Amino acid sequence: MPEALEVDVLIVGGGPAGLSAALRMAQLGKATGGRPLAIAVLEKAREAGAHMLSGAVLDPSSLRDLVPDYEAKGAPVSTPVGEDRVYVLTPSGKIRFPITPPPLKNHGHYIISLNRFVKWLAGLVEAEGVDLFTGFPGGELLMEGDAVVGVRTGPHGINKKGEHKATFEPGVEIRAKVTILADGVRGNLTKVLQGRLGLGAGRQPQLFAIGIKELWSVPPDRLAAGTVIHTMGYPLGFEQFGGGFIYAMPGGDISLGFVVGLDYKDPMFDPHDAFNRFKMHPFVRRLLDGGQLVRYGAKALPEGGWSTIPRCYADGALIVGDAAGFMNSMRLKGIHLAMRSGMLAAETAYEAVRDGDTSAARLQQFEQRVNDGPIKRELYPVRNVHQAFGHGLLAGLAYAGFALLTGGWWPRPMKSIPGHQRMEKLAAMPNRVTDASKPDRKITFDKVTNVHFSGTRHDEDQPSHLLVQTDVCHSICTEEYGNPCQRFCPANVYEMVMDAAASRLQINASNCVHCKTCDIMDPYQVITWVTPEGGGGPRYDGM
Amino acid sequence: MILVVAEQRDGILNRATWETVAAAQQLADGSADRSIAIAILGSNTATAAKELAAAGAKDVQAVIVVDHAALELYTPDGYVAVLESLVADLKPSRVLLPHTYQTRDFAPMLAARLGRALVTDVMRMKTAGGDTVFVRPMFQGKLTADVSPQGPTPHLVTFQIGAFRGDQVTKGASPTPVRAMTVTLDAAAIREKPEPPFREARQAVDLSQAERIVAVGRGIKGQEHLPVAEKLAAALDAELAASRPICDAGWLPMERQVGSSGQTVAPKLYLALGISGAIQHLVGMKGARTIVAINKDPDAPMFEVADYGIVGDLFEIVPAMVSELTKT
Amino acid sequence: MKIAVCIKQVPARDWQPRPNDSKTWIVDRDAGFEMNEPDAYALEEALRLKEKHGGEVVVCSAGPARVAQVIREALARGADRAIHVEDDGLASADAFVVADALASVMKDENFDVVLTGLQSDDQGFGQTGVVLAERLGRPHATIVMEVQVVERTLRVKRELEGGWFQWVAMPLPAVLTIQSGINQLRYATLKGIMAAKKKEIRKAPAPAGLMMRQKIVSLSVPEKTKKTRIITGSPAEAAKELVRLLREDARVI
Repeated sequence: MPEALEVDVLIVGGGPAGLSAALRMAQLGKATGGRPLAIAVLEKAREAGAHMLSGAVLDPSSLRDLVPDYEAKGAPVSTPVGEDRVYVLTPSGKIRFPITPPPLKNHGHYIISLNRFVKWLAGLVEAEGVDLFTGFPGGELLMEGDAVVGVRTGPHGINKKGEHKATFEPGVEIRAKVTILADGVRGNLTKVLQGRLGLGAGRQPQLFAIGIKELWSVPPDRLAAGTVIHTMGYPLGFEQFGGGFIYAMPGGDISLGFVVGLDYKDPMFDPHDAFNRFKMHPFVRRLLDGGQLVRYGAKALPEGGWSTIPRCYADGALIVGDAAGFMNSMRLKGIHLAMRSGMLAAETAYEAVRDGDTSAARLQQFEQRVNDGPIKRELYPVRNVHQAFGHGLLAGLAYAGFALLTGGWWPRPMKSIPGHQRMEKLAAMPNRVTDASKPDRKITFDKVTNVHFSGTRHDEDQPSHLLVQTDVCHSICTEEYGNPCQRFCPANVYEMVMDAAASRLQINASNCVHCKTCDIMDPYQVITWVTPEGGGGPRYDGM
Repeated sequence: MILVVAEQRDGILNRATWETVAAAQQLADGSADRSIAIAILGSNTATAAKELAAAGAKDVQAVIVVDHAALELYTPDGYVAVLESLVADLKPSRVLLPHTYQTRDFAPMLAARLGRALVTDVMRMKTAGGDTVFVRPMFQGKLTADVSPQGPTPHLVTFQIGAFRGDQVTKGASPTPVRAMTVTLDAAAIREKPEPPFREARQAVDLSQAERIVAVGRGIKGQEHLPVAEKLAAALDAELAASRPICDAGWLPMERQVGSSGQTVAPKLYLALGISGAIQHLVGMKGARTIVAINKDPDAPMFEVADYGIVGDLFEIVPAMVSELTKT
Repeated sequence: MKIAVCIKQVPARDWQPRPNDSKTWIVDRDAGFEMNEPDAYALEEALRLKEKHGGEVVVCSAGPARVAQVIREALARGADRAIHVEDDGLASADAFVVADALASVMKDENFDVVLTGLQSDDQGFGQTGVVLAERLGRPHATIVMEVQVVERTLRVKRELEGGWFQWVAMPLPAVLTIQSGINQLRYATLKGIMAAKKKEIRKAPAPAGLMMRQKIVSLSVPEKTKKTRIITGSPAEAAKELVRLLREDARVI
């Protein structure tokens, strides 16, 4: 007899958005008295925070509202931003921006480890009596008509052939009055729901970027703790947009990464290779020399902004955080918006459950709250940054610093097209350069080595969680795009191997760091990321 | 005096005993009291004792034989009772043992009974300013620690198998005297009732116990080429293992996979055929005592951890090895 | 049957630890932690014994506050209650200190069987279980591959080297150290996680005056001590030379 569970509110995803929703709801219950709501949070990582990856600079505005005494409660936000610097990198030098563009000013913000921050938040949530189920992914939505009535968790103990192992545990049906989807960027359940209900109708398609990050331990005198550096330019040319970041924490801990818009044209482009080139730039290299790689990770981020946020409510469901696209790519920040959206969704869901009406019409109040509050206030004014570029370089230049950083703000027509559609066929790019850099195994590493430092582990004996329609791989994709999955995946999941005479796509699913890039960037959209067995995935301790 | 505890089963001396004697000689060298005694416990120890004595190993003053019917099969209670009284009698400064499964079963109990420090799994020793520190792995070999035992002597130390070489024991011309020691041992007081050891055909492959492993990687190119490696494994009496891509492709079952997502192995010989040496693989096998890499790519990281390397085509080299090995 | 299982929390297996500045311990602020693998098998064996023979399973752990994570995990899998000897110093303590700390809270419980993993994935002493047995005055067996209980007698299959095994019987109460792979680990369930919240976790301080019996003088990342000998020549020559070296130099064949 499979387990079944009934709760008032089910939150899928224990990131900043999901946990803020859980905490806010528990607070509301406490403040108003009465029967406390039964709240459950599903998190696919084995431990809270283990799949969290961000730069990260935290704007504490939402935290201040959610946990006013966060300092007393021991929030791991101990590194205030001291100095902001923006550089344009040339192949061997750098030019400092004379002023830090206002959106990139971080005074009053903190450099944090999102992993530690979320672990801390999870502690608060559990202390409020919320059930936090780590190691349990949201496998599929339970729907009745167009209404979401809960989620079935992913099963445990299925082998490669799809058979039950002796330890098999079936997925559990969790029924809820309201299901809050906080399943992160390109969330697997959000994607299904959005498709099924057409939640993106009338909005622009989401645009994404991939961020690749490493944590380093370097001699403490290299960079003062609290220093925040953003770079643009090298190794990217005009064709691609993105940039680097370097954040210094105490004790010589350095967080550095590279963000590339997932709308590049060249199918041979490899974001991981760009990251390595960034690290080999003399400026970055000097910082890292003699240091040690501690951890590696990658994650996609939603960069489309206000106009790409889908309808975030349905019968019995709300969508929050990165899953919805609440991220300000102008400021390179999303944690505070994820938290805020979770809090607003919690307020909406709390009242809806209390009043016994969890219909879409009622849950629309979430949208109202977003429109009336700090989220719209922050995102709406920058919604047209596309246009600034579209209307000429001069207008665009004002934003160039940060726009180049993110790749989201490319001078393209108002109607944005999904990034994967921008990829050009090989035939259209006859003059491309193909010299991939060779890792030196001291500062730069190959993907397989990097994956080791992500702490990624999956039970090897399970079905692949990357569903690929492989019939296109050997034929048209090889010819048209040269199998770009091998390059855009930052974890060496996809490999075309030659067996005898034919080539074959080998999917090293257990390397997957859950970044979702393949689901986003595949030019034919034949890759679907589904949840692997719960507990699998990276271990981003300290990230 | 240093006391070495020998190990035997059915009267046959465990070779690891000699490794411990070698370690004892190294420790004795340079200390004021150079004397070493070897104790052997059992009920039928004459042959093993004779073997120990015949070597006349340098600095070994005596082979002490404790023969008792109750010691026929090893028990922790029996061994600890005898060794406790031996230590009381001989007052050694150190008690050295091979880090075998048997030692692991009783040495901590002996240390606890005596209230003395026990340093296990020692790979080598360092002496600095009269102090000896013992080097042992920690965090599954990801770090090594120099450890100094604390508190009153004797300190107990167990040595990793293969860390010292039995054939490097300095031998002498005249045999060591054998001394029988009688102990009072109350068989009824031994709580453990052992049955005779038995060999079991393992149901599953257990690479972690393999002494020799031939491992294949992508360089093997196809499942149809596996017999090339299988023949070498047969000639070496080795187990066949593989890196992840091979098992991922289904060419070999998953239990033969070595690495962070498979088995961790520590054989005497690890022969890597066409394995580049991704870090995920290396963490699973770098504890092997002797590593051989055969690979076409001279930059393969496997060469960095290998003791012996051949840059070349495994399809040419491996058959040549097989014919060399099977030559009589 | 009253069963205790001693579990340790250790840094995650894939994490590369770094020595601290004084080289006496590791920098563990970026470490993830998890249940020591052999202890997880000991826990599973304890749960199976309980399912067969009834009684309760009590988790005992010695370590800093963060150990609560693995205690909760054990309770979620089905252990009934827990005792946590809490002290920051226990994270880097030696086997004697950990065994003494555990014994201090286990003495009065009169467990029939105490199970633990054969060694820990951090310091890897392989001593704690056996020292604990001695402190509790119980017989023990190590590297156990199978456990049978017949009335008040325990019969266990021990693993010896090289494919050898041995059955050993002993009276209860006793202490066993469990080999990894003895059973198949169960998954935690949602109900188990919810039930775990209501289970008792008793906290106790570490007894005063515990003495470390070994001191880490220096901790380092192992350096490659060997030099790779590249064998050249034709395939036949190289093969011949390699076989010779393996026989005469390395002596592994």
